[in-house]
Amino acid sequence: MSANGRLHLWAFLQGIGFYPGGWRHADATPKAVFDRTYYERVGKLCEDSCFDAIVFGDQLQGRDAAGRTPGRLAIPTLDPFTLLSTMAGVTSRVGLVATVSTTYNEPAEVAAKFAALDFLSGGRAGWNIVTTAHPNSPMNFGETELLEKSLRYQRAQAFTDAASRFWDAAADDGSTAVTTHDDWFDFDGALDMPRVPQGRPVLVQAGQSPDGRDFAARTAEAIFCPAPTIEAGQAYRNDMRERVRKAGRDPDGVKIMPGLAIILGATEAEAQAKQARLIELADVGLCVEYLSESIGYDLTVHDPKAPIPLDDIVATCEFPVADVRRMFAAAVEAETLLGDFCVGYAGKPRGHGIFCGTPVQLADHMEAWIDAGACDGFTLQPAFMPTELELFCAHVVPILQERGLLRQDYHGPMLRDHILGAREYA
Amino acid sequence: MLLSTCLDIASEGTAAESLAAYEARVATIERVGPDIVLVGREIDGAIVPPRLEALLTLPWLAGRISNALLVGVIPALHAVPFHVARALSAIDFLNDGRTGWMPVWHRHAEIDRAYGPSYAVASDEIAPKHDDFIKATQALWDSWDGDALVIDKASGIYLDSDKVRRVDYRGPYFSTMGSLNAARPPQGHPVLVRDLVAGDEASTVRADITLLGGDTATVEREANRLKAEPGLVLVKTQIRGEETGMPLDRALALVADGIVDGIHLVGQPSESDLAAVRASAVRPAANGTARAALGLPTPVNPYTERAFA
Repeated sequence: MSANGRLHLWAFLQGIGFYPGGWRHADATPKAVFDRTYYERVGKLCEDSCFDAIVFGDQLQGRDAAGRTPGRLAIPTLDPFTLLSTMAGVTSRVGLVATVSTTYNEPAEVAAKFAALDFLSGGRAGWNIVTTAHPNSPMNFGETELLEKSLRYQRAQAFTDAASRFWDAAADDGSTAVTTHDDWFDFDGALDMPRVPQGRPVLVQAGQSPDGRDFAARTAEAIFCPAPTIEAGQAYRNDMRERVRKAGRDPDGVKIMPGLAIILGATEAEAQAKQARLIELADVGLCVEYLSESIGYDLTVHDPKAPIPLDDIVATCEFPVADVRRMFAAAVEAETLLGDFCVGYAGKPRGHGIFCGTPVQLADHMEAWIDAGACDGFTLQPAFMPTELELFCAHVVPILQERGLLRQDYHGPMLRDHILGAREYA
Repeated sequence: MLLSTCLDIASEGTAAESLAAYEARVATIERVGPDIVLVGREIDGAIVPPRLEALLTLPWLAGRISNALLVGVIPALHAVPFHVARALSAIDFLNDGRTGWMPVWHRHAEIDRAYGPSYAVASDEIAPKHDDFIKATQALWDSWDGDALVIDKASGIYLDSDKVRRVDYRGPYFSTMGSLNAARPPQGHPVLVRDLVAGDEASTVRADITLLGGDTATVEREANRLKAEPGLVLVKTQIRGEETGMPLDRALALVADGIVDGIHLVGQPSESDLAAVRASAVRPAANGTARAALGLPTPVNPYTERAFA
């Protein structure tokens, strides 16, 4: 059996899936995301299909818009560490990647948590390093103002370096004191942590801006990105490989993993009907709340059949006014009604590629992207859970394995083994 | 009688060897079946390397230990209310309402220094910061009502917006706006456990379960004082030797006299010793949350109360 494969698979399993209305689908199980057995089952499913890793996203703010929490959006944002540690308890190979912000944390705390996850999972922890930009987050941590973007990345770099010193010290002797005195951190102490099987967790990033891309090029071993087209994927991957090379690292050691939402059907028509149903399930009320959360303004007080109340919105919205004005500019010009704009906005969430079709078509799609150098694999975002993930594992994974694109077995126990492949073991 | 113990192992060399020892200890605890298991890096005031961060360990443990209340030991002077409230919400859901937390304020100069100068708290500020940490964390749980989630596919209603709010907690050390991005835990609040140590009289927080240590006279005095308040009292004891806790026979006598509700075994007692104590004090299996099984009161959500006033 081949332990190699050119295609890497990650599963992004936040909440109930990709589509905002997906929780209402007849096959969706929105209550199960509060049960341990759900995570145990989904974790084993990804491991049986030889995924590199499972990743959960994160937010550090309430899900409300100006104080009103949406009533029609599914928002089960359970703590990612908790979900991954649960999965660690019932799996032995699949990687476990937690999204953790460097903006409202301390290096010592984060170092100790990843040490515990890596220890309990036998070397399968990964850290998706993010910075926090939501305007309501500072208020949850005793602060009032967000850090400016380039400062957030400066802090992220200093934070990652500082956390790494704790892991390096644990590799020697847990009681070795670690010293950092820089613009961001000032400490000189020891954590008495257990040794971390991987030495350090696998570092993952999702850099988009120039600051973010350079940070990813210096630190990341895998990178998430939105890439709606094969050309966008190629452009991003070429740019990142060049940046990685300039940072003095081997580009083959850094996997580019664009997000891909998936909707599968036995026929193309069946998949398309499912997609249409998912869009229909996001009714106007849900879409109005979806946009409300995105701008920090409660649009539910306005008539969805009336024009967009831009003056009201910009007077009190919690997100930066310039960004909000830009978002609405064309629609206000075209006199689009509020509800219509919201439905359009919620219908194409987050700029990721969306695949809708049969298992063979999806395998072809993935192979074409790999052959074109547009990615090293995909971060799958099932349209809704758990059905679309189950369909993928049952019907697409065997095709990918038969074509030699996806490994049929893990060749090592740790997450870094899955990312680097057997090449490193020659 | 309630039986409590710690999940703890001696240092066992490599990570793989330590994990194997850890798993073996978990299996021992599961076979014996104590009512309460404490988990965390700070146990009896000491931190040693093979112990693991509690919030990461509890979910891993939940599938391995049935029925016991699993209590995470949380460093109150280092932890952040928003992160702790969030994690314990998820853990309480995934652990079927069998989760507890024990904020501790032991001082460890090396660890304070690893966090940075702002974490070196003056001695008279320790109790106020500990209390503020607990209140801020509880306030975030109160940002959701217990029945806020609806999750009705047909109507499209996921939750009742009127049952989630910003709490805007402002204390002397912690401020946090909320709402929490996690629902109210199944138990309302996870069971609050307190390790009563010297200086604790400065704290005004009421615990659900209190661990008492020290000599017999001190334990009896404190136990009688605590009897007037709701909550359970456990006395720290050990099966062999008496370096850190009261001798077992004295502790069992206090239980028999109704002065305390159970014992907390310190150290790493052997399986046979644990089983012997368990055999003398079997509790009937109980369904439902740990809070219900232990007869502890359900926390009142002040926002919900106000709504009905």
